[in-house]
Amino acid sequence: MYALIKREIQDHIAYFVGAAIFSAVFIVISVSLTHSKGTEDPSIFAIGLGTPVATVVILGFCAMGANQMYTDKNRKISAFLSTLAVSRSRILLARIITGILAILTLLVPLAVTAVVLSHLSNPPIPMYPGMVLETFTISFLMAFACYCLGLLTGWNSSKITPTLGGIVLTCILVPLIFVKGFGVHIVVILVLFIIASLLRAWHTFMTTSL
Amino acid sequence: MNDNVIVVEDLVKYFDGRCVLDGINLKVPRGCIYGLLGRNGSGKTTIIRILLGLEPPTRGRTFLLDAASTELSAELHSRVGYVAEGHNLIQNYRVGRLIKLCKDLSLQWNDEFFNHLIETFRLPADRRVKELSIGMRAQLNLALAMAIDPELLIFDDPTLGLDTVARRQFLELAIELIQQQGRTILFCSHILGDVERIADKIGILAAGKLVVDCPLEELKERVKKLRVIFPESAPPNLYLTEIINQQIQGREMVITVANWNKQKQTVLETFKPSSCTEIPMSLEDIFIECTNPNPVLITG
Repeated sequence: MYALIKREIQDHIAYFVGAAIFSAVFIVISVSLTHSKGTEDPSIFAIGLGTPVATVVILGFCAMGANQMYTDKNRKISAFLSTLAVSRSRILLARIITGILAILTLLVPLAVTAVVLSHLSNPPIPMYPGMVLETFTISFLMAFACYCLGLLTGWNSSKITPTLGGIVLTCILVPLIFVKGFGVHIVVILVLFIIASLLRAWHTFMTTSL
Repeated sequence: MNDNVIVVEDLVKYFDGRCVLDGINLKVPRGCIYGLLGRNGSGKTTIIRILLGLEPPTRGRTFLLDAASTELSAELHSRVGYVAEGHNLIQNYRVGRLIKLCKDLSLQWNDEFFNHLIETFRLPADRRVKELSIGMRAQLNLALAMAIDPELLIFDDPTLGLDTVARRQFLELAIELIQQQGRTILFCSHILGDVERIADKIGILAAGKLVVDCPLEELKERVKKLRVIFPESAPPNLYLTEIINQQIQGREMVITVANWNKQKQTVLETFKPSSCTEIPMSLEDIFIECTNPNPVLITG
């Protein structure tokens, strides 16, 4: 399993580098916002920046899942791997773990920074207890849902389907989170979406010809 | 434990409504070198892909080393070496990286034998797989398949693209493997001379059916090509069953008959031919006769 995960990371290292850069940029912005002495409302700045960034993140992880599956199908990677001492379920599991690791590469440094900054100085926006954990959970679920959709749509010989799938999901998810806010409702919706996408991707991958 | 390493039962496969395999039954006993032959698109690769669990069957069941192909475990895969048609390796990897990946994913790896093969084939570790020639890719695929010391080897046209020297090297290697006890080989090839040299059982696919499934020597015994000369013009019908091919020219008739036996010989003699001589047939000749549009079943 380790060899499979290592292979997936090496093959999709660009997404990990991208996630790390995004994370670093966010950290720099957060630190500067915390220490800024300007008169502008930081929450407006956060929302203004957050919306396009969330869109990019959604599309990024969707693209990662789609790219993993699309590359696999077109280069017949799983067809080769599954003739070795590897089962299809392990290949897909390794792929999903890689996706989760990429998401954590983006979110964990941000969460740690948020916790540290909230303890060191007054946060620029009002914070309630458990806000960091809740934000982290929702962000993780949102990114993972996008990634799962990418996995689902990427097993396709056409490039149009994955691209359209990602755009449609972005159009649905971003307004949904803004309308519903962070809370149990959105967690339930995202978890259900993830389960459905994963089951479908799993079934497709396990039964299709490689 | 079953004595048959490969079992195919009533296998049917449709592609886009087109029947490629129509009720195939096949058994490959342990230690056998089975040569599976057929024209392009006859379904040889499809059978192999279904056996390896890469392709779902439309109907029927297939078993590899006593396990259903649809439920092959990683442990079981580690006992099967596969050289695919077209050598489907990961093209953008460097040779060294691909070797390391295969080694990491294998449950057993014979370093000594693998290194010997790599040295024999002179494969460059720093080049990308896609930059290798077809022959080198075939050699790399072969070396990777051999390195795991497989109990069952499946070769799908492994010598395709190899030059004469490399092909000879491959065959000698295969013969070396044959000498190792308990190893079974399923061998598909278009180069019938290769198959004839190493196979001890032959299967021929034609029109979606396995029209031949018997030992090579038995096949050569059972398919006869005869040149029969009659005193007058040759009769249009000899009333023989299982005629594969028949050509008449004046007094001469050249006839290919499956499952030749004494009964058929007696029937032929009732026509009082002036002479009847047997034309020796190579596997290639038999293959051409058996893959005609109306194939006759020859099973052992």
